Amino acid sequence: MLEVRNLTKKFGGKTALKGVSFEVKEGEIHGLLGHNGAGKSTTLGIVLGMVAAGSGEVRIDGISVQRDPRRALRKVGSIFEAPAFYDYLSGWENLRVLVGLSGRFDRAETREVVERVGLSDRIHSKVGTYSHGMRQRLALAQALLPEPKILLLDEPTDGLDPEGIKWFRDFILQLREERGMTVLFNSHLLSEVEQMCDRVSIIRAGELVYEGAVRELRDDRPGVRLHVSPPEIRDAVIAELGGEAMPGDRWVFPGETRVPDVVARLVKAGAEVTEVTPVRRSLEDVYLEYSRATE
Amino acid sequence: MIPFLRQLQGELKKLFARKRTYIGYGVFLVFEAILLTLWVNVGREQFEELAQRNFIPVELLSSSLTAAYWIMGFSMFLLGSIYFALVAGDIVAKETEDGNLRMVLARPVSRFRILALKYCAVLIYTVTFVIFVGVTGYGMAVLAMGSGGGLFVWNPELYILAVYPDSDEALRRLLTGACFMGMSMCVVTSLGFFFSCLKIKPAAASVMALSVFFIDFVLQNIPFLANHKEMFITFRMANWVYLLQEQVPWERVIESYAILTGLNASLFVVGWMVFQSRDFKT
Repeated sequence: MLEVRNLTKKFGGKTALKGVSFEVKEGEIHGLLGHNGAGKSTTLGIVLGMVAAGSGEVRIDGISVQRDPRRALRKVGSIFEAPAFYDYLSGWENLRVLVGLSGRFDRAETREVVERVGLSDRIHSKVGTYSHGMRQRLALAQALLPEPKILLLDEPTDGLDPEGIKWFRDFILQLREERGMTVLFNSHLLSEVEQMCDRVSIIRAGELVYEGAVRELRDDRPGVRLHVSPPEIRDAVIAELGGEAMPGDRWVFPGETRVPDVVARLVKAGAEVTEVTPVRRSLEDVYLEYSRATE
Repeated sequence: MIPFLRQLQGELKKLFARKRTYIGYGVFLVFEAILLTLWVNVGREQFEELAQRNFIPVELLSSSLTAAYWIMGFSMFLLGSIYFALVAGDIVAKETEDGNLRMVLARPVSRFRILALKYCAVLIYTVTFVIFVGVTGYGMAVLAMGSGGGLFVWNPELYILAVYPDSDEALRRLLTGACFMGMSMCVVTSLGFFFSCLKIKPAAASVMALSVFFIDFVLQNIPFLANHKEMFITFRMANWVYLLQEQVPWERVIESYAILTGLNASLFVVGWMVFQSRDFKT
């Protein structure tokens, strides 16, 4: 559905993207991860034709954004962090103006979408009176009109309360289930990405450092938080067992290793074990490792 | 064509839904009232003397049409230019600054079309504003001085002195002049629009447009450049008054408006080229 091929971009003399490529398959929810300034927004900007690529190409449903942006963008709905609507117009008028630019504004279809995002009661109020959550619902409504095949979400849950975040997540997951909607999801909230996305791409300093399934990225190896003294014995035993250190006194071990065996080996070697807590390596741990690996 | 008109309707809706769009209308009504008061109490007396020296019947001068001509001429050039520069300077740059433009650019619509819609909207605003000033100026003058009477036109810069005793012809002439004045003021709008397409703040776009306009006006009035007046935009813009001359010098009018139209088109095209090459991202 979305192919990003070898994108490069420089702003002045500064390189923002160095050959970024990834693919989002139809019906997939794909996370785009990276630190601030990593190149995520530039990538999204190029996908939407707002930023000119230095080289490379983006194809949406087989249509090149660089060659035929109007036709390619017909299939796209997008939401930006802090969506900027015309505050002096009502929600309905905003939809009319924005959706009208796509060449078609259908009142019945718009009413249906507005009802679906739960804005029917306030759609004729001025957007200036909306809360952040309501603006985000309106942003979702405009993105869904008229019937996109792919949604590009740029930090859509930033600033939302936990209830709002859950509502948004459930809504997107439901859209995928009902319509097979493809979603490219750019977020800092790794827990959100972990819960929503099938696959992720991690960008670091303008380079793609990982692309793959979220479940592959999750580390299912047994992990444990240990408080052990003396550290020399601890390190020697852990090294013998093939353990890998993680931040915060945590270690992961090869798949066949059991935590009781680790404790038994430590005690047998003469170490004093004061805390043992089984842990699982989160997406955040893996993400930080990928980020550090390329520093 | 129909989608374009619908989109233009949306653009006009945005323009006219903002409260500050109406500040100009309010200020102009007050300014017109001040000018009218000055005309009735001070200006009329001076022009009666002028008319008597030129053997023109005094009653022609005291008409509401003559007052409307003076109000329009003065208020539009001095104050109108500021409002047109402000509105046109905002039209692209403000949306860029506020982030609205990202929502617009994410739609399947070309940048040329987005700019064409905005440019048409500000041109419509300009022409309707000039007509508003003409109509309200005439309306106020009728309230203060009564209807009827002819039109007396005097412009020493362009060597124009004309008298229309018949009020129907006078009104027709004044309306035609107002339309051409609207076209003249579109140059200020085009300047504001051009600067708005650049990567600058909305206020900077308006200030730049006004700077160009007033610098041109000052240069045009420098005595040693008197023989080169035709080179200046503001001189060409003032050519709407030729429409009020008894024998309209059509060649000169067509030449001036062709130059102004060419300038407007050039400003739009260069603005579009800059806008087309810009990257938009947070």
